[in-house]
Amino acid sequence: MLEFVQIAIGGLVVGSIYAAIALGFSLVFRVTGAINLSQGGFAIIAAMIGYTFAVAWGWPLPLAIPAAIAATVAVGVALAAFTFVPALTRLSNANVLMLTAGILTMIEGIALVVWGSQPYAMPPFSGEAPLVFGPIRIPTQAFWVFGATAVCIVALWFLIARTKLGKGLRACAENPAAASLMGIDVPRMTLLSFGLATLIAAIAGVIVAPTTSLQFDTGRLFTISGFVAAAIGGIASFPGAVIGGLFLGLVTQLSTAYISSLFSTAISLLILLVVLIWRPQGLIRTGVARRQDTREEVKAAGHAAKLPAYLGWPLAALAVAAAVLIPLAVTDNGIMSGLVIAAILFMTLMGLDVLMGYAGQVSLGQAGFMAIGGYTSGYLAINYDVASLLAILAGIAVSLVCALVLSVVTLRLRGLYLALATLAFGLLVDSCAVGFLDITGGPSGLVGIPSFSVAGVTFATPRAMYYVVLALDVIILIALVGAMRSGFGRALKAIRSDQMAAAALGINTVRYKLAAFLISVTLASLAGSLYAFFFNFLAPEMVGTSRSLELVAMLIIGGESTLVGGLFGALLLTLLPTIFAPLAIYKTFASGTLLIGSFLYLPQGFYGALVQILARLTGSNNDVSRSASTAKSEVPAS
Amino acid sequence: MTAIDTSENSSAGESAILRVRGLVKSFGGLKAINDVSFEAAAHQITAMIGPNGAGKTTVFNLITNIMSKDAGKVMFLGSDLSGMPAVKIAGLGLIRTFQSARVFPGMTGIENVMVGGHRLGRHSLASQTLWLSGARDEERRLRRRATEMLELVGLSAFAETHATELPMGAQKLLEVVRALMAQPKLLCLDEPAAGLNDTETQELANLLRAIRRLGISVLIVEHNMSLVMNVADRIVVIDSGAIIANGTPAEVQNDSRVIEAYLGREEHAAS
Repeated sequence: MLEFVQIAIGGLVVGSIYAAIALGFSLVFRVTGAINLSQGGFAIIAAMIGYTFAVAWGWPLPLAIPAAIAATVAVGVALAAFTFVPALTRLSNANVLMLTAGILTMIEGIALVVWGSQPYAMPPFSGEAPLVFGPIRIPTQAFWVFGATAVCIVALWFLIARTKLGKGLRACAENPAAASLMGIDVPRMTLLSFGLATLIAAIAGVIVAPTTSLQFDTGRLFTISGFVAAAIGGIASFPGAVIGGLFLGLVTQLSTAYISSLFSTAISLLILLVVLIWRPQGLIRTGVARRQDTREEVKAAGHAAKLPAYLGWPLAALAVAAAVLIPLAVTDNGIMSGLVIAAILFMTLMGLDVLMGYAGQVSLGQAGFMAIGGYTSGYLAINYDVASLLAILAGIAVSLVCALVLSVVTLRLRGLYLALATLAFGLLVDSCAVGFLDITGGPSGLVGIPSFSVAGVTFATPRAMYYVVLALDVIILIALVGAMRSGFGRALKAIRSDQMAAAALGINTVRYKLAAFLISVTLASLAGSLYAFFFNFLAPEMVGTSRSLELVAMLIIGGESTLVGGLFGALLLTLLPTIFAPLAIYKTFASGTLLIGSFLYLPQGFYGALVQILARLTGSNNDVSRSASTAKSEVPAS
Repeated sequence: MTAIDTSENSSAGESAILRVRGLVKSFGGLKAINDVSFEAAAHQITAMIGPNGAGKTTVFNLITNIMSKDAGKVMFLGSDLSGMPAVKIAGLGLIRTFQSARVFPGMTGIENVMVGGHRLGRHSLASQTLWLSGARDEERRLRRRATEMLELVGLSAFAETHATELPMGAQKLLEVVRALMAQPKLLCLDEPAAGLNDTETQELANLLRAIRRLGISVLIVEHNMSLVMNVADRIVVIDSGAIIANGTPAEVQNDSRVIEAYLGREEHAAS
């Protein structure tokens, strides 16, 4: 019993931090309708600045802590002013979510460059000696955590419910267009909500810093836990955020103590998935449900880049020829491996593009299927000597079964909740990969996977593997182009932009969305298997949630709903760090910045920009619309 | 095309393609639709009119199950539509449009129209990925038909334009054409003239007559009296969620309750 109390208190400490982060989620969501994934990043930045001030520079804590919080808020507001606020008017909410993932990545990149990858720990605010209540010992920092969280909750409630400013914030939440007509400066309110969320995150960060060790990418965990907590509690509800946070903290700590630390994440994610099925709006529903309007997606749908028809085939032939010849010129083994990885990831990206770019279904857990494919085929190949092709097929079969189970949840969800469910799935696979030691080898990975071989021929070198993957990529690309330019692709695009109108025309939306999902899963699983065969090794972080987010980044940077766009993103993000190896420390920062930049300035990605340049060079006028708008419609013959 | 002569309206009235019986819908304490029954006759244009807020679009949404009804029955070609998903209703040949032209953004004019023909496609995903000649032929035929349709309504110039960049009138017309591509047995148009100017409304009237000549039944919810009086064979007048008149344009025009509820105000505003 004593032990239980001790653990429960620990759970409440962690839970308070989750609650604080979740509170930030709710706040930004209520004001803007978007999810801000960057929160956890700001928590870490605040903690690290606090460390520098207090430990490295020796400032007294009462000065260092507020200074660190202030500095973080300043960074957050500045970042938001140039990214989040302008993005809200241009991007759909699902894409804003990805943009904030980009901000998170960028912050992590900054932290990596400034503070390196080693962990930091701050000294407790009030000394090391815990308070003793009879047999129960409570670290003093716990009281700081409880106190700070409580102050945040009360202050936020007061601001929203009792002040004029709060009224303005609430008006933005209800109807931004009407609010701006009433003279409320919506961008300013957006910035304010982001700033407040950053403030809460920063406070949470510095307060939690003494209880745990932090490193540049711990922010991810805070973001994810906060997001999960907010979703369990009800994303639009402040009490929901608090209850969700405390609940999640208790569940993770208790299950770590009494079941296994390896499965504590898995258990909280299962709870989340159950909540999403049972009550998608979360445990605590607020009266004001934000409209999840499909027309929201209009902003996102945009116009995909399209090559002039007569350039398509010649350029494709040229690209394939170049891809075949490149290895002859490449002598560096690192670059050759980079090419293979890019080619493998491109396979996943084509599937992801069908799912996201065409069907408009966000997936933040695509690497989860790479993991299922990779681990299944790797395990079979190691333990049962199963031939490569059979092992790959088995991996695909297992992935498809998992996908069908997951689709029970995902087919009912849209936008934000879909993003959340897929994220949870990816994390779940992640924690299973760590937890099932006997099958996956746990955190240290699955070793001794044989190289890919068919009919006695083994493709062990990067160059040999490159040609295998290239051939598959070309075949898959041709097949998908065939489907996307025909009825199937058109139906997906219609569903993406207006599901109700598509259904009213007799398009079976469920079936098409499921088909797109299964295509993407098949390709991800195939790519995962090839990945495992190529490295002869598979570890959880190679196919974890960071990989999922990276895949989405690659797709956006390359260009959505183009099928080939992903290739540009994959090449950029895999080859650049290999080529500029000394600058590898900037990789995280660069990929975050690229993602943000693409969202804001290259809505059609690198591929789109390339197509536009090509169109201008060849002088072909892609813009028929301009000349057409002057044409008068004729009266139909009656 | 086989034009069906529908000059003898009276006899066609007996074969109703859509029967609505005792429709009821409440929002909270407010009875928005109260015991609405009417029929749409085959090969005819049936119009439902009424003042703003009378419940016309609600009736539409109840028929197509976009909202669930509290009571009543909707029979289309002998099938009960109760609880049927939108896809199935469309599959039976009841195709509807929306009040706020819901063209597919991010798709061109011709792509929008081609989506309309989707439900009649016979070639599978597999044959599309394999670039089989059957699938490609079907694609070509669909494109040709869509091109013809756009020509018919004078929208050819917008074929390659992104749908959302079209003027409002063209978007509404595009939606009608898209619905036509689905080869409806009953075409349900929700305020197609809303947002159109006089010339565009005239074009729409011509298009509606052309549609009737193709043998397609039309149910139209409309606010614009002159359009309805021009093209409709039968008119159902609804006010405050209940039907107050049902008959030919001439009969309805002379109905005192209709004049009181609707026409009086309308004529006043028009002059």
